[in-house]
Formats: sequence, C-alpha cells, structure tokens
Amino acid sequence: MNTSEPILSADALIKRFSGVVALKGVSFDLRPGEVHAICGENGAGKSTLIKLLGGIHPAGTYEGEVRVDGKPVQFYNSRDAENAGIAVIYQELALVPELTVAENIFLGVEPRRFGGLAIDWPKAYRDAAKLLSQFKLNIPADARVNDLGIGYRQLVEIAKALGKKSRVLILDEPTAALTEQEVDVLLDIIRDLRARGIAIVYISHKLDEVFAIADRITVLRDGASVASLAASETSKDDVIRRMVGREIADLFPRRASHPGDVLLSIRDLSVESAARKPLLHDISLDVRAGEVLGIGGLMGAGRTELLMHVFGALGRRTAGTVTLDGKPLSARHTPSESIDRGLVLISEDRKRYGLVLDRSIGFNMSLSSLPAVTNGPGALGIVNVPAEAERSRGVFKSLRVKAPGLETIVGGLSGGNQQKVVIGKSLLTDPRVVLLDEPTRGIDVGAKIEVYELINELTAQGRAVVLVSSELPELMGMSDRIVMLSQGHITGEFTREEATQEKLLAAAMADKLTPVETGIA
Amino acid sequence: MSVVATKPIVSTEGAPRGLDARVIIMPCVLLLLGAYFGWSEPAFFGARNLSNLAIELSLTAVLALGMLLIILPGHIDLSVGSGAGLLGGAAAVLIFKLGWPAPAALAVVTLAALVLWLAMGTLIVTQRVPAFIVTLGGLLIFRGLHWYVINNGTIPVVRGGETNLFSLLTTYNLPPLAGLLLAGVVIAVMAIAAFASFKRLRGAGVAVDGELSFLRTFVTAQVILLFVLSCNAYQGVPIAAVILGVVATFVQVLTRDTPYGRYLYAIGGNEEAAVVSGVPVTRVVIAAFGMIGLVTALTGFLQTAYAGASTTTVGTNLELDAIAACVIGGTSLKGGRGTVGGVLMGALIVTALINGMTLLSYGPEAKNIIRGAILAAAVWADVRFGKR
Repeated sequence: MNTSEPILSADALIKRFSGVVALKGVSFDLRPGEVHAICGENGAGKSTLIKLLGGIHPAGTYEGEVRVDGKPVQFYNSRDAENAGIAVIYQELALVPELTVAENIFLGVEPRRFGGLAIDWPKAYRDAAKLLSQFKLNIPADARVNDLGIGYRQLVEIAKALGKKSRVLILDEPTAALTEQEVDVLLDIIRDLRARGIAIVYISHKLDEVFAIADRITVLRDGASVASLAASETSKDDVIRRMVGREIADLFPRRASHPGDVLLSIRDLSVESAARKPLLHDISLDVRAGEVLGIGGLMGAGRTELLMHVFGALGRRTAGTVTLDGKPLSARHTPSESIDRGLVLISEDRKRYGLVLDRSIGFNMSLSSLPAVTNGPGALGIVNVPAEAERSRGVFKSLRVKAPGLETIVGGLSGGNQQKVVIGKSLLTDPRVVLLDEPTRGIDVGAKIEVYELINELTAQGRAVVLVSSELPELMGMSDRIVMLSQGHITGEFTREEATQEKLLAAAMADKLTPVETGIA
Repeated sequence: MSVVATKPIVSTEGAPRGLDARVIIMPCVLLLLGAYFGWSEPAFFGARNLSNLAIELSLTAVLALGMLLIILPGHIDLSVGSGAGLLGGAAAVLIFKLGWPAPAALAVVTLAALVLWLAMGTLIVTQRVPAFIVTLGGLLIFRGLHWYVINNGTIPVVRGGETNLFSLLTTYNLPPLAGLLLAGVVIAVMAIAAFASFKRLRGAGVAVDGELSFLRTFVTAQVILLFVLSCNAYQGVPIAAVILGVVATFVQVLTRDTPYGRYLYAIGGNEEAAVVSGVPVTRVVIAAFGMIGLVTALTGFLQTAYAGASTTTVGTNLELDAIAACVIGGTSLKGGRGTVGGVLMGALIVTALINGMTLLSYGPEAKNIIRGAILAAAVWADVRFGKR
C-alpha cells in the first residue's frame, strides 16, 4: 500500500446545523493513488463531510481543519475545491438536461478558437468523444442528456469531472443507479484512475463494491469517524457491525408467503411513448395478494416504464388490459384514480416524483390521502389537522424517520429518511397493490433492511408488492417470483427456487443490446 | 441525534406559519410610508382619505388575492387588468345602453367571465401552452374587445341621477352602528375560532405557539376596530371593504385549511411529484383559473363603479399592481410559497404608495419610477433576507 504523504486530510471536523450536530469529530486522510471508501448509515454524516470537502459548506461554518498536501486550506465555494484539484460528484447530478453530452462535459471550460472569441465546438466534440471512449462509454457526444437514462447521466458526470484533470475524485453513491454490468465498467475505470495516481474517495452502501475496489475503509457512525481500516484486514460483517453498532443477522429477511387472489392482472399490454416510440409490448403478468413479484432487467429494459404506465403516469396504451382487483383500469386512467383504487407507486426518482422538497414531512406524508382526514366535500372540505397529525405521527414513528418532528422540512433529510417519507405517504393511502421502483436505491444497509421488513409486513397484511430492482441479490432475496424484461418485453419468469444470477442475467440479455439503445429513452 | 432543539417549532402541516424577516420588514415599510405621507400631508390620515384608501385597497387586494391562487401553483395571469376593463364595460353597456336591470347584467357578465377563464385554464393545463403566453394574448384580446364594446366612448354605470347595484359597489357605506356590529361579530367569531383551533391542536399534541396565535388575533381585532372607527368618522365602512373581507376570508380558508389549498402549494413546489401523489393537477389548476375569472369580474365591477363609467383606461395595468402586491407580500413567482396575510400587506403597501403620491401631487413620471423601484427592492429584500 501507498504510504506517502496524504494528499487530502481532515482533522476533527465538527459541523452544526441549527442545533443539530451533523459531524461531531470526523478525521480521515487520503493518500495519492488509493481508493478510500467511506461507509455509514443514513445521517451518519457522509454527505455533510463531502459537501464540506467540496466547498459547499464554506470554511468558517465548521470547526476543524482540512489540509491539501499538508497545508491547511479554506474552501469558500466549489470552485476553490476544484482549483485545489478536488472534484466531487454528488448523488444529485449537476448536468443541464437540455444540453448535449459534450456541452455538459465542457460547460464553463469550453475550448476556444479565433483568439478566444468563439467556442471550438468541433474540438469540444472530438475531445468529448475521446474522453468517453477512453472510459468505454458507448454514448454519442452529441446525445442530449435529457435522452439518457439516469445511469448514463452518472457516467457522463464522471467523465466531466475527469475532463477537469482532478487529483482527487470524490464519488457519492456513484453506482446507486447503475446495473451490475455498468458497475463493473465503473470499477474498471476507478482502478485505471488509481493506477494513474489519482486519489479517490468512494462513498457507497454497496459493500460488495467497497471490498472490490477500496484500499482503506473509514466508517462513520452518528457523525463521528469510528474506524479507519485497511480493506485487506477487515470483512463485510465487521464493517456492517461498526456502521450500525449492532449485529445484523440476515440481509434479506423475506418470509414465506401464502399468495391469495390475483389483485393486479396485466394482459398483452403494449405501450408507446408520447412521441410514439414503442416502450413495452405483449406484457402479461399476474400479481397475487400476499406476494412479492420481482421485476428485473437492464437499464432501459422497460421496468420503470411498466410501473409508471400501470400507475397511469406514463405512455399511451396501444393494446392490452390492466385489471385491478377484477375491475379494469382504463387506458387513460390518472394516478389519482389509481390511488383511489388502491394502487400506489413509489418512484425510483424520489426527488422528482416523490417529494415537495421545501415542505414539511407532515405536508408530504399527507398529500396522497388528504380526503381521508377532511370533513366536508372533497377537496373543498376542511382538513382535520389533529387527526391528520396523529395519523402521520403513527407512520413517522413506525417507519423510524430520523428527524426532529413532522414539521421538519423534507429537503434537509438524508436519502434514506426521504425515502421513508415517500413510503409513508403511500402507506397512508391504505393501498392493496404497492409498486416499488428501486426502493433501496441510495440508502444504507440498516434502512434497506427496514424496507425489506416493511415489504414482509405489507404482504403479511394481504397486500401485493411489485418490486423493481437492479440488484440481483435483492431481487432474488426478496421476490417470490421474478419476471425479467428486455427491450420492453418479458424474456423469462422464475420462481424463487429456480432463480440464479446466471439465469436472470441470461434472460436480461436475451436480446443483444447496446448501451446506446437501452440508455436513450 | 441527541442534541435536538427543545423549543417547539411554530408550524403545522399546512402553509408555513413561522415568523420570518418579512413579517417584521413589511409593517416597518408601511409605517415609514405612513409617517412620510402623514408628515408631508396631514390629510393623508384624514377620515376622508382613509375611506378612499380603504376602497382603493379593496380594489387592488381582491384582484391580488385571486392572483395568489394562480401564482401558488406556478402560473401567472396577465389578462386580469384588461379583462376587468372589458367585464366592467360589458356590464355598463348592458345596463346603460340596453336597459338591463343591474343584478341581471352583473350575473350574466360574471358567468361569462367564469367561462372565459375556465377556457384559458384548460388551454394552459391540457394543451401545455405557457400561462404567460395565453394570458398575454388574453390581455390584448380583452383590451380590444373592451374598446370595441364601449365604442371608445364613456359608458356610465347607471342612468343619470339614479343608483343601482353596480354604482353602489363603491358608493354605499354601512351605517355606523351596522359597521360596529359587523366588526363585533367578526372579531368574536375570529377569537372563538382561533381559541378552538388552538385547543384542538394542543390537545392533539401538535406544536403550536399560543402566544403568537393570541397576538395575531389580538392585532387583527385591533386593526378591524380601528378601521371601522375611522371609517365611521367619515361616512361609514365602504361596502367594497366588506367585499374584500369576504374574499380574503374565503381565500384564507381555501389556502390554509382545505386539501385544495395544499394541492396548490404542492403543485407549485413540485408538479411531477404532485401528479404521482394523486393530486388532480388538471382540475385544481383549471379551477384556480375559474376563480380568478370570478375575481376579475368582481374587480371589473368595482373599478368601473369607482370610475363612475367605463372608459378605455379602466383596468389598465391592474395586473401589474396585483402581481406586485403578491410579490411584495412574499409570494414566490416560481410557485409554492405565499400567504393571504402577506398579499394583503403587499396590497396595502402598493395602494398607500399610490394614494400618498397622488395626494402629494407627484407627476405620473415619478409615480412610475417609484413604483418600479419599490417592486424591485421588495424582491431583492425577499431574496436577500427571506428564509429559504
């Protein structure tokens, strides 16, 4: 291992947010050419730490010291951090969707010609294409970011940071949206960068990846660094124990199920986008009460599109029927009708489709089910605030949302707690069928297990769950049956016993796909 | 986390109730304005001018409250000024030229306004044409129609020497005793409602600040009483002020206490999330446009009655005053933020400014420059000092 001088180090960092201590003493150091993973649960302080290192929380708002090459530094904005050679790729991507890949990569640092008067677009596109091919990304430099799936956007963001020739790359949950195949590509890229002497801070909840890539691991718990370990001298179980401060027996606690009547039935469904591009064709499947139906596939296979269409939020139906509880859902039903009928969707993109970020937890939790706590005629009745608060508080407690109270603004919560708010909102509608799209994306082990336990609880109450996941172990661990999609249709159906990683992957790749076709919606 | 603020946070699940800088700044601005105008021209605080001010406030505030319902879900309506001119003019023509009874004319025009604005709302929501464009088109079309309808002339709201429902809108005043009685009833209802709500919330364990809620009720009661007493010193409470009271109460309850109000805030905060949460976005926004249509008709009647007749200039730039009142009152043009109290305060600032400058015989040049500067300063102050 490299034992040279640290390129970046943090000493006893303390950061407070209006009375709440987010960091209470975090120290760690990063050496050139090492991959240093930071692990910790929701709210352990990971995001705060990297925002501090990236200049988002400016110098003076925290205690402690940050050093680059041994010298104390003060970052007042992200530009300062970039100038020091530190690039941070946040979970919330910072791409301009209306611009092309190349325009995004060179945003603000466009190559010039004619004595600096004009942007040298041919060079920008050439360099972007070179950069992309260097990282084996089969994305055209002139594709609009809007047309790329979220996973590809992540890769573009990484390419963008690398284009700035950074010495330190901080990646916050870089693989949260990626399929296993893409994760392998990314890990290869990271190994390549390490070989070139770039130091990498790698934040991930996926311990398999952490152990595949990291040289050292720092564990945060409740805002403090509790251990810095060499990856070769520790184990997954050890890290999990240090993260949660207790033992975790079983990662996938799926209980045996007793499927009942068919609640959701889809027959010969074909759907196209508003622009008349085919999204799904000839999909037939049933979901029974008390059952978890897993849906897998590569990015762009149509998993999210299927859930969104069934929920009434996406696409035009060109053929087929969707039946909920024996009664058809019309081709043009709206999400509000779906919710009335007992069908809810928890979206993979919770900030876009799940939350009103500058409102309180209570406001968000109630949004789907206000009529239930309203006296009087529908939307014009008077909300019974005490009844509403009591109901929300019950869910707030049972989901163990970590926040001071229902009045807390959702935007400031960690990813896992935001996800709990979205789930709480759905549960308050008392659904019969719950559509879960990547419910554990970007949340930590402890919160993941809470989501799994919740799935068990839902099915035990006779509700049906449809679970879309990119993580095969999760899909196999939590589903009673698994359907694999590829290019908009079903390429395999497996019982829990039949399913193996090889069989699922074979079905997911049943049609030979290129990433470009799958990535562009 | 063990270190958690122990002070109860003043807020419930509805519109935010927390105090922020704006709550302090706006009354200060108002006091400064009052002090300056009162010192320069003592008649500013004379009973007669206060009564005029009350009517002018009512005209501006009613429209601004309607505008709030459009801005909250992130839209805008530029057509309300010329629309008010058209609707007031149409009613005047029906009465003066065609001899219709005033109530029938007002009712028919109100209905027409509802239909027009529902149509614009439908165009905006279902066809996804930006509200800015649709209502900009409306602004020009309505202005043209207005001038066409009144034939570029002057159409009085009532035939010579008579009075009717239309003309009384801005000339009738409640008898002093009736004004006092009304104020007493309103204050009593308000106090009882505030206390009951406080008890219910406290009983349910919702964090509420009793002192703040008492203070709010107490101050509002004082303002109402003072207002009635000063109006009674002249000719009594103008009926326009009573109309404003009714509209403000309605919008307050709508935005604060109903699911519909929550939906407005949710759509403005994150429309896609609102759709996926089952909020009937299409219906909610179209209904908001329907409501501003009704409010525009009401404003048209009030404005035309205040002018005494429909002329080509009635309604001009009213949309800007309404938007300015909203923005000065802390409403975010991006949607999702704004309160009735703020809009009323904003409308009062806008109105007092115009009234005072008129009283001090400022020229139209200075008036325009000062109004523009105040609007820009208000938004700057909001961005700079407002809580995010």
